[in-house]
Amino acid sequence: MNTEERQLSELLHRVTPEPPRGVTVEDVALRLASQAGQRGDFREPRRPRGRAWAPVLAAASVFIVAGASAGIVLLTASHHSPSSSLSSSGATSSVSPSRTAPQAAPPAIASGPWAAQLVSHQALAPGSLVSAGNSLYAIGVVARALDRIDPATGSIAATAPLSSLPVDPPLVLGNTVWLVSYYGGGSVVLHGYDAQALAQTASVTVPAIGQVSSTAQGVLAAGPDGRLYLAAGDTVAVLDPATNQVIRRIYLPGIPASSVAVSPDGTKLYIGTALSSSSPFRLLIYDLANGTEVGSSSLNTGGGVGNLVATSGGVWGTAGVGMSEWSWFAPGGDLSRSFQVGGGAGGGLYSVPTLSGGTVWVSGSRTLVCASPATGRALATAAVPADHNTAQNFGTVAVADGHAYAYFQGAQQDGLARMTPPLACSAEGS
Amino acid sequence: MDTLPGVARPAEPDGFRDFVQARSTALLRSGWLLTGDWTSAEDLVQTALAAAWPRWASLTRPDAPELYVRKIMVNTFLRWRQRRWNGEIATGRLPEMQAYGDVFAQVDARQALLAALDRLPARQRAVVVLRYFADQTEAQTAAAMGCSVGAVKSHAAKALARLRDAPGLAELMTGGVAS
Repeated sequence: MNTEERQLSELLHRVTPEPPRGVTVEDVALRLASQAGQRGDFREPRRPRGRAWAPVLAAASVFIVAGASAGIVLLTASHHSPSSSLSSSGATSSVSPSRTAPQAAPPAIASGPWAAQLVSHQALAPGSLVSAGNSLYAIGVVARALDRIDPATGSIAATAPLSSLPVDPPLVLGNTVWLVSYYGGGSVVLHGYDAQALAQTASVTVPAIGQVSSTAQGVLAAGPDGRLYLAAGDTVAVLDPATNQVIRRIYLPGIPASSVAVSPDGTKLYIGTALSSSSPFRLLIYDLANGTEVGSSSLNTGGGVGNLVATSGGVWGTAGVGMSEWSWFAPGGDLSRSFQVGGGAGGGLYSVPTLSGGTVWVSGSRTLVCASPATGRALATAAVPADHNTAQNFGTVAVADGHAYAYFQGAQQDGLARMTPPLACSAEGS
Repeated sequence: MDTLPGVARPAEPDGFRDFVQARSTALLRSGWLLTGDWTSAEDLVQTALAAAWPRWASLTRPDAPELYVRKIMVNTFLRWRQRRWNGEIATGRLPEMQAYGDVFAQVDARQALLAALDRLPARQRAVVVLRYFADQTEAQTAAAMGCSVGAVKSHAAKALARLRDAPGLAELMTGGVAS
């Protein structure tokens, strides 16, 4: 090697960071099983997501207009609807029997919160579960697919194979399910799928201005105006899903956007920025009427922050240091007044807030919390039991069919859990 | 707690676990340099290891497993790149090296490095990673990529020329930022 080659070699070794987690034999076995068609036979790897999943229901303020209020009412019911309003007709690819077979008698999760039962054992990305109407949507990590799940049976009603695991959870807007299929370098690729059959209907490449954030968590949101808001480098791109065109950009002051959320009234855009997973997190507030910054605050947690959710009372998100992660609420979007909600998660597991059924849910390995979207106050809290000193975890919570659902990662088994939260969880609307 | 019916895993080859434990970090770092993000890097390494699993017993030479896994990684990366990047999309601008101050120097260095690597065609990028990060010889790199040693030399020379013009990279190579 000549001098230049030696300098390049030294630079590559010096600058290339250490990976956040290693690959295990279990990961590889899971991949091998997937390739061999043994879907669902293996346990979910403990940390299947490469990047934190965003809070779901960015589409809540749009799609769930009907579903949200209905969800509040349904949540109080002690039974779920015996029939799903969605059928499997029109699915774009076949669903293997092992993935669709409903469980005759869902087993209860021992000491599980809110009468939790395992309704299916599909391996899902824990942070990918969202709901819209009477369906659940999630990313199947073994089959590597976008799945529409019938909450009544836990079975998969439609599925669409994916070439790679998407960056964020699905976002349902109107009749389209959007996935961030590629997020790197100078561009973002979104794929749209029909919400019923999951046939792919759109592929949109959005050039970033500058490089996309390396700390992105929750880069796609929907506004009540029916538009998509996408963190795309030093801008937030606003897309019209009717034309798949970028109709507007909101420019940041030379910092890549890592997370976005739109206020329920559509007047404010919340943008999270962090230059690295260990640098201070800034929350910028933009007036959507004129695209100007109207506020900012910062939070120095020393860990990754993102997964923004906007509600009537403020902004929610996640923060994490080392193997610990927790959720916070910032009244009015002011991080200087933010406080932790729930017990968070340890051991490399996740605590992520979601807005579903008009209530904010905070998941984790220590507690499950339903909270007021107006005040951030916990309405009900349930402990998540450990099993033989092994932490167990609930992923993002989504409300459908009168129940709350989350992906459960237990010491001995994983799967989709159905819960019946207390009435307090439906006491306040959004 | 109720448990699910278990299904036996495929038999784990002798030595596979030791290799994964010992080399997964290095492989992941190579994957990060190839793809630019950890999600894809993990995907790449898992894909390669899964492909190597059934053939593990036949990889008897001491250096064979790593060479084989790297070969699969590079070829998988080249296939992905072909599929995911139908033409490179020009970025509006590249990161400004001095904009964020010293506290962000490490992040800036990584961004500058990835931005520079993004300028390279896939094969040139693969040669850079194999030759200058994985410390493979020209012959090993050629074997991994299924091309001649001459082609490796050509890719390397062109890559170095492109990287020479990458904003901020020359300063990093000569001066450096502590990691």
